[in-house]
Amino acid sequence: MTTDRLRPEKAWRNVVAAVAVLALALGLVACGGGGGGGGGGGGDSSDATTAKAGPVKGELTISNWPGYIDPGEDGAEGTVAEFEKETGVGVKYIEDVNDNEEFFGKLQPQLDQGESGGRSVFVVTDWMAKDMYDLGYLQEINPDDLPTVFENMSSSLRDPSFDPGRKFSIPWQSGMTGIWVDKSKAPGIKSINDLFDPKYKGKVTMLTEMRDTVALVMKAEGVDPAEATNEDWLAAIDKIDAAADSGQIRRFTGNEYNEDLNAGNVVASIGWSGDASIISNENAEWRMPTEGCVLWSDNMVIPVGAPNTPAALGWMEFVYEPKVAVKLAEYITYVSPVEGIQELASPELAKNQLVFPSEEFQKNCSTQVSPPDVEEVEKAWQSVLTG
Amino acid sequence: MRSLKQRLVPFWLLGPGLLWLFFFFAVPMYFMGELALYSGSLRTGGFEFTWAFENFPNALSGHEEQILRSFFYAGTATVLALLIGYPLAYAIAFRAGRFKVLLLFAVIAPFFTTYLIRTIAWKTILSDDSPIVSVLQTLSLTPGDGRVLATSGAVIAGLTYNFLPFMILPLYANLERLDLRLVEAAKDLYSSSRTAFLKVTLPLTMPGIVAGVLLTFIPAFGDYINAELLGGTGQSMIGNVIQSLYLNQRNYPEAAALSFLMMALILGVVLLYIRFAGTEAFMGDEDDEGPK
Repeated sequence: MTTDRLRPEKAWRNVVAAVAVLALALGLVACGGGGGGGGGGGGDSSDATTAKAGPVKGELTISNWPGYIDPGEDGAEGTVAEFEKETGVGVKYIEDVNDNEEFFGKLQPQLDQGESGGRSVFVVTDWMAKDMYDLGYLQEINPDDLPTVFENMSSSLRDPSFDPGRKFSIPWQSGMTGIWVDKSKAPGIKSINDLFDPKYKGKVTMLTEMRDTVALVMKAEGVDPAEATNEDWLAAIDKIDAAADSGQIRRFTGNEYNEDLNAGNVVASIGWSGDASIISNENAEWRMPTEGCVLWSDNMVIPVGAPNTPAALGWMEFVYEPKVAVKLAEYITYVSPVEGIQELASPELAKNQLVFPSEEFQKNCSTQVSPPDVEEVEKAWQSVLTG
Repeated sequence: MRSLKQRLVPFWLLGPGLLWLFFFFAVPMYFMGELALYSGSLRTGGFEFTWAFENFPNALSGHEEQILRSFFYAGTATVLALLIGYPLAYAIAFRAGRFKVLLLFAVIAPFFTTYLIRTIAWKTILSDDSPIVSVLQTLSLTPGDGRVLATSGAVIAGLTYNFLPFMILPLYANLERLDLRLVEAAKDLYSSSRTAFLKVTLPLTMPGIVAGVLLTFIPAFGDYINAELLGGTGQSMIGNVIQSLYLNQRNYPEAAALSFLMMALILGVVLLYIRFAGTEAFMGDEDDEGPK
């Protein structure tokens, strides 16, 4: 090449100069910006706002777990479509909650800024709702705005210890954590301890939800989760860790445990009682572990920065109408929070222990709890999950 | 003496790239660096900037295994990609004839589907009851439990598959420019095909190899999707740890610190590698490449 070409050293000087200018600009931005990423921490729950009521209209974005609503089949409309038709609200229904921790982790920076990513309702489990409320990320709900909800809510759900009187959480569904078993491949699995049987090495999955998996393993060890000390939690975590290291446990999963069951990769998964709608493996059935199950509820909550609280409240009212609740129960087979729908249900559904569990059926079950020192136990648990 | 306008030309040309680097690299790096020095936790009233340098050793402790594993997985995947990619790039460059464009297209075509979907597809292909796995089982090619999914092998295979095009393309670009007359000359001077390859072709394609290795190794090292979807217990990579620190434990300072350490580590490894492989090979000094 002979044409006028930049001499290398000259070009380098220019690059250096340009970088210097940018560095200066960066410094200015940094000074002006201040604070930044992830700082601040939550507000105080004592000054939580109350969700505003009003005419139900506009757009509504709802975040929920997969397989947690009837999509509408065979010409019949799903619950979302019916709500849209009745109220004229346009609903954006997203199934993006797969694991409480992970969902919160993704949303937390936004919630901290008072934003909800456009969502007006999302559904999280009891303890997570409480955590979010304590951090000031949820709006309070005035019972006067929800007459149907408070008239129809099961009496057993009205005063949970984490939210007495239901100030910020409205139950969506309740359920039980137990074992999904592929009965053609492992008919013998009846208890949590069976999952540790070397016969099923690499054919078992457990949930990433600590309060489900670890609590069940504690129960299998004869420890009542409600009375468990930190050491009990850590001992159960050690037991799971050893099983993970040896290859006994194939994976830890969120709600996607259905995939391995459906594909025939596993013979048993710790899983939730009402997930039949997303489990296509015909041989899979949910079993109550001989040690009992873990009982929990998932709740609708209204986050700070929710763009359409009137529609969110309208949605809650709508799903607490008995005829809507029955239709939902027919499809998702979780325990409905709406009282007295057993009479409305089809005879077959009314007999289903997963939807209308008897006291006898649940006699060994424990309510979901958090460990005494959440931070320490959570850390130990996460190191098992990323082992 | 050039005019001012002429002297400003390089700035204009550099402009878009520098702006990009500034907004999408320098600024995020700054905020992440700041975040790495916060202390506190979400449950106890939030984070505070306290020059918490202890985040760095804390982030590292207990994760040595995942770091070593990431090196092993990414390294193996890179070597495999090179072993698969080099002959393929060579064949496309010199032997493909009129199918050259078609074959190149075939290399790039998977990019039309997102990375995530392709990895999920592998999950289906490699599921325990799939025909492929049955064949492998019959041939006793599956490790221990007779499965492929949720093993180290599956993660490495996923990484190799996903990053292979990043190996092939620079190799192809480099091989394509190779002056075949040099190889002919070597043969005229009585070198065997093997010697000609080792003494002429391979050294001249070093820039492509170095570029391909870097483009494959760096993203493979930080990847967490393959371990998440194709791996099982005991196959987490360092990317999974960072994800867990960010999303599940919400320990943002340690997550940021660990990310920084990994960047530094990779930078160190890359600098060593370039030094070892030769800067000229990396920069591709064209003037030495042959007669013009």
